[in-house]
Amino acid sequence: MISQATETLLFYLFATVSVGLALATVLSQRILRAAVYLMGVLVTSAAFYILLGAEFLAGVQILVYVGGIVILLVYAVMLTRSSELLEDHPSFVRKGVAFVAASAFFALATGVFSATRIGTAGDGHAPAAVADTTLEIGRRLLDQGATGYVIPFEIISLLLLSVLIGGSVIARRSLAKAEETK
Amino acid sequence: MIEQLATLAPGPFHWLSLTVLLFAIGIYGILTRRNAVGILMAVELALNSGAMNFVVFNKYVAPSAVDGQIMAIFVIAIAAAEVVVGMAIFVTLFGHRRTVDVTRMDQITDAAGTN
Amino acid sequence: MEHELGFALRNAWLILAIPFFSFLVVGLFIRPRAPKLAGIVATLAVFASAGFAYALAVEYLSLGGHDGWKTIVPWSFEWLRFQEHLAVHIGVIVDPISVLLMVVVTTVSSLVHLYSLGYMHGEAGFGRYFTWLNLFTFSMLALVTAPNILQMYVAWELVGASSFCLIGYYFEKPSAVEASKKAFIVTRFADLGFLLGVLILGYFGYQIASEAGGSAQAFDFLFLTNPEVMGKFSALGAGLFGIPLLTLALLLVYMGGAGKSAMFPLHIWLPDAMEGPTPVSALIHAATMVVAGVYLVARLFPLFATSGDALLVVAYIGAFTSVFAAVIACTQDDIKRVLAYSTLSQLGYMMFALGVASFEHPLGYTASMFHLFTHAFFKALLFLGAGSVIHAVHSNEIWKMGGLKAKMPVTHATFAIATLAIAGIWPFAGFFSKDEILAAALGSGHTGIFTLGLMVAGLTAFYMSRIYFVTFWGKAKTEHASHAHESPWIMLIPLVILAVLSIGAGFVPFGEFVRFGAAHGEAHGINPMIAAAGTLAGVLGIGFAWLLYRDGLAERSGVIARALGGGYRLIRNKFYFDELYLFVTHKIIFRLVAAPIAWFDRHVVDGGVNLSGWSARVFGSAVSYLQTGQVQTYGSWFVGGAVLLLFSLWMLRA
Repeated sequence: MISQATETLLFYLFATVSVGLALATVLSQRILRAAVYLMGVLVTSAAFYILLGAEFLAGVQILVYVGGIVILLVYAVMLTRSSELLEDHPSFVRKGVAFVAASAFFALATGVFSATRIGTAGDGHAPAAVADTTLEIGRRLLDQGATGYVIPFEIISLLLLSVLIGGSVIARRSLAKAEETK
Repeated sequence: MIEQLATLAPGPFHWLSLTVLLFAIGIYGILTRRNAVGILMAVELALNSGAMNFVVFNKYVAPSAVDGQIMAIFVIAIAAAEVVVGMAIFVTLFGHRRTVDVTRMDQITDAAGTN
Repeated sequence: MEHELGFALRNAWLILAIPFFSFLVVGLFIRPRAPKLAGIVATLAVFASAGFAYALAVEYLSLGGHDGWKTIVPWSFEWLRFQEHLAVHIGVIVDPISVLLMVVVTTVSSLVHLYSLGYMHGEAGFGRYFTWLNLFTFSMLALVTAPNILQMYVAWELVGASSFCLIGYYFEKPSAVEASKKAFIVTRFADLGFLLGVLILGYFGYQIASEAGGSAQAFDFLFLTNPEVMGKFSALGAGLFGIPLLTLALLLVYMGGAGKSAMFPLHIWLPDAMEGPTPVSALIHAATMVVAGVYLVARLFPLFATSGDALLVVAYIGAFTSVFAAVIACTQDDIKRVLAYSTLSQLGYMMFALGVASFEHPLGYTASMFHLFTHAFFKALLFLGAGSVIHAVHSNEIWKMGGLKAKMPVTHATFAIATLAIAGIWPFAGFFSKDEILAAALGSGHTGIFTLGLMVAGLTAFYMSRIYFVTFWGKAKTEHASHAHESPWIMLIPLVILAVLSIGAGFVPFGEFVRFGAAHGEAHGINPMIAAAGTLAGVLGIGFAWLLYRDGLAERSGVIARALGGGYRLIRNKFYFDELYLFVTHKIIFRLVAAPIAWFDRHVVDGGVNLSGWSARVFGSAVSYLQTGQVQTYGSWFVGGAVLLLFSLWMLRA
């Protein structure tokens, strides 16, 4: 009972913070601040994962997203001198169009959700939740059986490797070209 | 008070509404940001909310398995890959054109930016 | 009697191939490098095809023909297939008249080639000249050997095109350019009728051919002149304005023939065509191309005879042109123009000879072809002789010549022979063919045409003797004429050969070879009455000319001219036909028809085109706003589309 009340409180608290930070991310004039707001959104998302019972995922979120991706984004901002070159003023028409499109999507999606009975299995007589999700994730990721994810896991690792190489090649080429033009 | 709060515990509808709201904000950012890096951030926002959807469904539809969480991990990995490639492209682009303003990138050719 | 076909007949395609490849080789490879060699090669090639034509003729004649000569198509291939019974073949037809024309064309052409080697010596476009001459020879041979009317039409146009190039040979001379355009436009206009006629014949011929089945091809002459088919054609009934369809088609076809053969009122181009080099006039505008119209009518003669009315039109137009041109010829001063009008007159002769022929009295058919045959030689000779004179005197004006009898003996002698031949004096060739034509006209009951023919014979003798006396007799009237020299031997050889032919051609037993239907007795003998009348007309004409012009001066004739007054001026100005045409074309057609059409074209048609272009452009630029290159605009469309899609899916599911 108390835990449910806490969950409610935390959910709405984090939801408010998360939506506010998200809005700040897309609306902020300063791109570096937007990066910081994004970091906040991602951290609250980690909190949501904990609320949803995915502690391992919350850790991954913090490690990869906050510790890696956001840092990369900050690098991108700096390397392209976006923060000093660009005062971000989208045109009025574009803002209007984007708002209509985004809110239409939101309205439609919530309309669909409210009209759909999502099969909630967590009503007590459903199979119990996995006790140790971290262990289960590890087991499933390396499972070679029919329900295992070892092949997607390997593919993802290959993807990451190729991205590593590709990213450095693309960036290097531009640097080489810059050297030439000098 | 607490009882009241307990009855208001978020169900799947609330969770999904939250993620979809975040996703919509991400779309808005994608469509309005002029800075390419800003667009990339908005994409991350949308991706993040998408990953969260998997976890939500995992909890409310199939709590006895962890497939949704694994999917979320994959999404995070792909997001990381995407950011790496995106950053490399933007840096290259910036080297060519001295700008990453997408509203000025309306040519397929490189005419505007070479030297 | 089944003969194994000889070499020439088996390889009949060579008759077309030799001049054609010579044209290609000379025109493309030799001409740019060695113009002199080009002339020689072209001449040799035409001599070769002449030799081949003789071989072919001998082989064909040796096939025998006591019950009429067979028509054979020894070589053909399918060129275009429209329908089962509507395919066009390229081939060679061999029958008496095509053999006749092949021989005439190659003979005259080869002699003209030879003559041109001397006449065109030192001209700027020597190689070009021979290239076109070769093309012309090829086209003309393709025309006479056409086994179907469409090949004939194609060759017909080729002939017209090469004639255009040759008339406009001196293209830096405005009058030559005008003349070539005039010739091309007038004949082209006439060919429109020809084409329409071909289409009508093809359309109904196709229906008849598909009813008949078998391998009948609607365009083939053999099919068209088949008695059964002709019966079906004449049963087609009325076409336009109550004219029977067959007559209508034939009149249209005849219009093309009249254009090429310069029949009144399409005659205006031929005198102007004399702007071309004289050998060209000899070849094209005397001996070969202009007889294409006669040949066409002869080729379709059975159809014309079936129609009857069409043949009458041919006869009357021919007779009228014959008189009309002869009268004009009496007053012209340009030696080549006189010859041109003389050609018109003689072509009219051939035409009305065909026109008076019928199934019952087919003598005119033979007579016409006979006259075509003899005329080709003596008229070519006259032109080449005139060319020789012009070469020596540097003028076309007969009043600037005179006294050339002693200075140019060979030219004089051959010209005299040709004059006597065209005047119809025994034993020269013209006597026999003219006599036969007159006999045909009288024999078929066309007394009026016979009288006109007799009159024309007298006029012909008169005007030809006139230019003969003025040119060769009397005293030299200009500096050039007094210093004239005989032409080089290379020009004299063709003259002599043609002179021999002009004498001898009449003795060919022509009725044996070219006749319509079975042998008819009247072709052999010479009717003494008609012969006497014709000769009398000729002698009278010559005598009258002798009285007026024997000293080569214009004094005595001037008296007559003044006495005739306005009538003389009318004739001298060719009945103001050129002016009439100019008036009709410039004042009426250009102003009342062409100008409104031009306005319509410029404003309505072009406007419509521009409108469609403009609307496409406006639409494009309107749509192009969608293609901004702005990824976020595209993204907006994408999200909007995705939302709509989701919405519709949801709605459909509900």
